[in-house]
Amino acid sequence: MKTNFLKLAAVLGLILAGLVLGGCGESRTPFAGTYKSMEPFAGKGYIDLNLQEDGRGTWTLAGKTVEFTWMVNEKKVWIYTKTGAIIIVTPSDGGKMLSADMTGEWHKGCPANSCVVFRKVEQGGQGH
Amino acid sequence: MAATDKPPGTEAKTELKIDHIGQEVNLPAGTRIVSQGEAPEFFYVIQSGKVRVFRETADRIRTDLTELGPGSYFGEVALVTGQPRSASVEATEDSRLVKVSKVEFDTLLDQNPQLARHIIQQLASWLVAGDTRLETEVVHQVKLRQISWFDYVLMCGLSVVLALIFNIYNDNKIPLIHDWGQPAVAEIPIGQALALYRQNKAVFVDARKSPFFDQDHIKGAMNLPVILFDLMYPMFQFTLDQTPGDKDKTLVVYGGTISRRMDEDLARMLIRRGLKHVVVMKQYRDWASVFPITKHPPKPAATMPLGVPGMLEWIPMSIFLLFLIPPIRRSPYLSVFCRLLLGAIFISFALSKILRPAVFALNVVDYGIMPSFGVNLWALALPWAELLVGLFLILGIRTRAAATLIAAMNIIFIVGLVNAILHHMPINCGCVGEVGEPVNWLKVTKNVGMVLMCLQIYLYDRLLVLDRGGFILRDRKI
Repeated sequence: MKTNFLKLAAVLGLILAGLVLGGCGESRTPFAGTYKSMEPFAGKGYIDLNLQEDGRGTWTLAGKTVEFTWMVNEKKVWIYTKTGAIIIVTPSDGGKMLSADMTGEWHKGCPANSCVVFRKVEQGGQGH
Repeated sequence: MAATDKPPGTEAKTELKIDHIGQEVNLPAGTRIVSQGEAPEFFYVIQSGKVRVFRETADRIRTDLTELGPGSYFGEVALVTGQPRSASVEATEDSRLVKVSKVEFDTLLDQNPQLARHIIQQLASWLVAGDTRLETEVVHQVKLRQISWFDYVLMCGLSVVLALIFNIYNDNKIPLIHDWGQPAVAEIPIGQALALYRQNKAVFVDARKSPFFDQDHIKGAMNLPVILFDLMYPMFQFTLDQTPGDKDKTLVVYGGTISRRMDEDLARMLIRRGLKHVVVMKQYRDWASVFPITKHPPKPAATMPLGVPGMLEWIPMSIFLLFLIPPIRRSPYLSVFCRLLLGAIFISFALSKILRPAVFALNVVDYGIMPSFGVNLWALALPWAELLVGLFLILGIRTRAAATLIAAMNIIFIVGLVNAILHHMPINCGCVGEVGEPVNWLKVTKNVGMVLMCLQIYLYDRLLVLDRGGFILRDRKI
């Protein structure tokens, strides 16, 4: 019975490791940094997008900041909001440009009428 | 039968004193006196020292049965039955024994009825103990194939407990009941809303995700998906400001799902942003038949490549072919295959849902069949149930009960999928990935395949099962 418990503990340990590793995704380093939208958004100025290496991030527009978490999956940046929405962001130009699909759905490319394009202005994310 | 043939736990024997027979032998510690499997030739009485009785399997796994000291004896029953030794004996200390040959032993029995009676008693007690063990094993094997309520209480209870504990420490935690204790939002009957619409005295705001809005919405309504509220509100406000007079109109929010969280959530958020005159439509599902509608043909969600998990989920389709071949259909090896596959599928699908329950909760809302109060509880507990039953299937614990639970889950998924397909819902399946997974009949077929796999496990599974005695590696028939 002791051996069985050890086997069970080993499997539970593997699952826990899977949970931890599954939440990490690919390396965030290439995309960590501060980005600015290419165009003003909703007549309120430019959006500042900050992606920190620890997986946290902020979206700031007209002094209002929204916090989120992010990860890299299949070479795309996935932004998870607290409400459960997912914004799929497609990097281009070696991570210097990001195209955010604002539909909250997955599309092969970024839909033209729902796409916010960002340009990297600073390498590495700024912590709080 | 000899002492060396005894099952584990046999009690020490009564002391035996013999004179003038046998041959005295002195043995150093570690000497093998009797070997398992050899033909019996002698009966032994211990005069000093200690010996250990043990059994050894073909792959050298040793089980110590008992230890005997001065006055004890062994090897007598094998001499009586003539069977090979079923255990080995070795000296654990320097020992002095009296070694009695078969001829001398027979003489001893003839002259010593007390010893003969004792041996008969021993044999009888071992027979009774053997019968009891056999009965226990049979009962256990039968119980192994039975399903009890305890199995379900164990799996479901454990899932709920783990889900609640994990949610406390999860960075992405969600409330158990969405909007519990939140202020109520003013409602407007659909007739009044229609009057305002005709008089152009209200702005209609669709709170659903954009694919739903794109498919059909009240003519002239704006879309502000509640899940993207913080990011998209500036654009909403900008659009509102651009239309003269709209700022002062009543905002009528509508959603259209039994879960209600879309419209009520959005109304609360708008009120928190300082907007006045915000109401939600009372008959939240009837707007499509009352208001003028802008419609577009149904467009399924775009398909994202799902990699290995995506390929894994199609293997259950193979069950339809395998079921056509009767010997394979009934094979316990197929049961093991089904268990491992279903276990792997359910564990891999559960992981992202466990980490980000808010995303999964929104998938549940999209299906439109779960009442609001149950969405978050379902989104928290279901992934843990998937993980646990997957684990139980792989480890071989309560496999029949686990299979019935997975079948039940799949039937619920099938109902949800069929409902979504028939109502042309532009939703994401939420089966393997978090996005980019449209619902279609192939997904339904895959789930039917998994139900068949569960049925196969229920009927024929009996290999690699973890019971109280450890893994059953071979087919055991009762």
